[in-house]
Amino acid sequence: MRRAEWRTSVAIVVLAFAVAGLSCNRAAPAADDKPTVALVLKTLNHPFFVDMRRGAQEAADRLGVNLQVQAAEREVDVEKQMQIVENLIQTGIKALAITPSGSREIVTALVKAKAANIPILIVDTRLDAKAAADAGVQTEAYIGSDNYAGGRLAGDHAVKVTGGKARVAILEGIPGHETGDSRLRGFRDAVKDTPGIAIVSSQPANWERDQGFNVFQNMLQAHPDIDLVFAASDLMALGAIEAIAAAGKTGKIRVIGFDALDDAKKAIAAGTMEASVAQFPSEMGRLAVEGAVKVIRGEKLPADIMVKLEMVTKDSVKQ
Amino acid sequence: MTTRLARARQFGTVIGLLVLSAVLWALSPHFLTVANLLNIAQQTTINAVVAVGMTYVILSGGIDLSVGSIVALSGVALGAALQSGQALPVALVVALGVGVACGLVNGAIVSWGRLPPFIVTLGMMSIARGMALLFTEGRPVSGFDEGFRSLATGRVGFIPVPVIITGVVYVIAHVVLTKTTFGRYVYAIGGNEEATRLSGVSIGFHKTMIYAVSGLMSAVAAIMLTARLNSAQPIAGMMYELDAIAATVIGGTSLMGGEGSLGGTLVGALIMGVLRNGLNLLGVSSFLQQIVIGAVIIGAVLVDTWLKPRAGRG
Repeated sequence: MRRAEWRTSVAIVVLAFAVAGLSCNRAAPAADDKPTVALVLKTLNHPFFVDMRRGAQEAADRLGVNLQVQAAEREVDVEKQMQIVENLIQTGIKALAITPSGSREIVTALVKAKAANIPILIVDTRLDAKAAADAGVQTEAYIGSDNYAGGRLAGDHAVKVTGGKARVAILEGIPGHETGDSRLRGFRDAVKDTPGIAIVSSQPANWERDQGFNVFQNMLQAHPDIDLVFAASDLMALGAIEAIAAAGKTGKIRVIGFDALDDAKKAIAAGTMEASVAQFPSEMGRLAVEGAVKVIRGEKLPADIMVKLEMVTKDSVKQ
Repeated sequence: MTTRLARARQFGTVIGLLVLSAVLWALSPHFLTVANLLNIAQQTTINAVVAVGMTYVILSGGIDLSVGSIVALSGVALGAALQSGQALPVALVVALGVGVACGLVNGAIVSWGRLPPFIVTLGMMSIARGMALLFTEGRPVSGFDEGFRSLATGRVGFIPVPVIITGVVYVIAHVVLTKTTFGRYVYAIGGNEEATRLSGVSIGFHKTMIYAVSGLMSAVAAIMLTARLNSAQPIAGMMYELDAIAATVIGGTSLMGGEGSLGGTLVGALIMGVLRNGLNLLGVSSFLQQIVIGAVIIGAVLVDTWLKPRAGRG
């Protein structure tokens, strides 16, 4: 019996040290006296946030601050994101930049950051204004693109390229997310005064490529005469392009996406995709770190720091 | 023999937790502070409570994949009840009722439909998730009053309320499991279902109750989660089933049923909580965190199988 206990203990000790060994080389940066800025992302398995991290890291290296980037495993897991914020507060970070996984839900964790006197910068997805005000959370700045304006850009482009006459399908993100809702509102507002544009179907594909494929395939079954599809993100748009190819309709249906991912730009250059609204996530990352450093130095930031948007089309992608 | 073996295993798990903590203490000056330990306790509560139900089910030789979806469905039922102006106790009963109802359906189909629990609860995972999304049209229900939110934000002395709720749940669930005939039957059904049936125990009834316990625990977790987020999300609780199974298995409960304890499950949940917290403090990337947690799960079960054939001689 005693031997069994001994064996178990040894096994777990070995495991724990394996864990420690893995972690060790990552733990080093906190040792010096440079201030640490935390950047909490929604996820790191999306090119958008990978770009944001790159921009942030470049700025951090240039300005001589430590950057701690953390993200939940899944984009929608706001409870995990709260845990990350709570844990980071313990490590003595000097500023927190965060892309909220839930505009209302994350407020609870930000209350704790505020109680610890950590300045907060909101990136990409805005906080719910009412929830933040109710909880007394003030933030230093919002850094991001105007998603509503981006949606309008896409809508105006749709009207222009179809000559104001089209049957339109929409692939939505996860319902209830400020980012996706704003893009859709912008798109709908841009096309609503054009009587020839009819939105025949609008369904969520939850930001994902495979769901974009499936949902759009089903839409095509129900409405074979769709002329144009607007996807609130490029991953969904790329899924839709595959579904169009599978139906043998490449070139007959225009696809407008959002984010201008590398894959989307390739598709635009190849002519399988009409256009995509470009955001500049690495700019957001850069501005977030620069803003955080200014706040640490005691400077004030403007309430909104807007990052430009651009319509990427076949003409502009060639340049 | 079995109880001595279980005790040895549990002892090993506790040592594992202590060693892990010691390593993190050595690596991070932020680990061993009162505030951080309270964070860990609070961050562990939801998984720990879901894992209570999972332990009952796994002890009886079953599995419950629907717990995460039941968390979401109970949560949105609770949120809707609160927003329609129901009193807090009424809303809590609604949430618990929804959880128990899902569990009863699971258990009844497993028992009398004679389907494998994996299939039944896989179906329920999708049904409950779909109902939560349908009911809310995919949108979170949010914004509750302070009274309700104190279930997550409140403290008694310095201990967060969710930690106290979790403690009470574990004490009650442990007593039921070890001191009542129902608890004995949970082990007996998992150990040898046929023998238990032949000794005159109504397997169907008891299995149904076991899945109802799991549904109830998911609902309790839903209450704590909704209060914590100040929001009931229909997409909440995804992958909770895997976290709960991991806590149960790390805690030494056998997936074959009949062997294990709630004490082990609590330590298992704490190991996962401490690991996640520690890896956050150390700034380990979320990708590496998943690898580490996966390795710990496999390692713990490896220890189990390694230990078993030798225990008789040792």
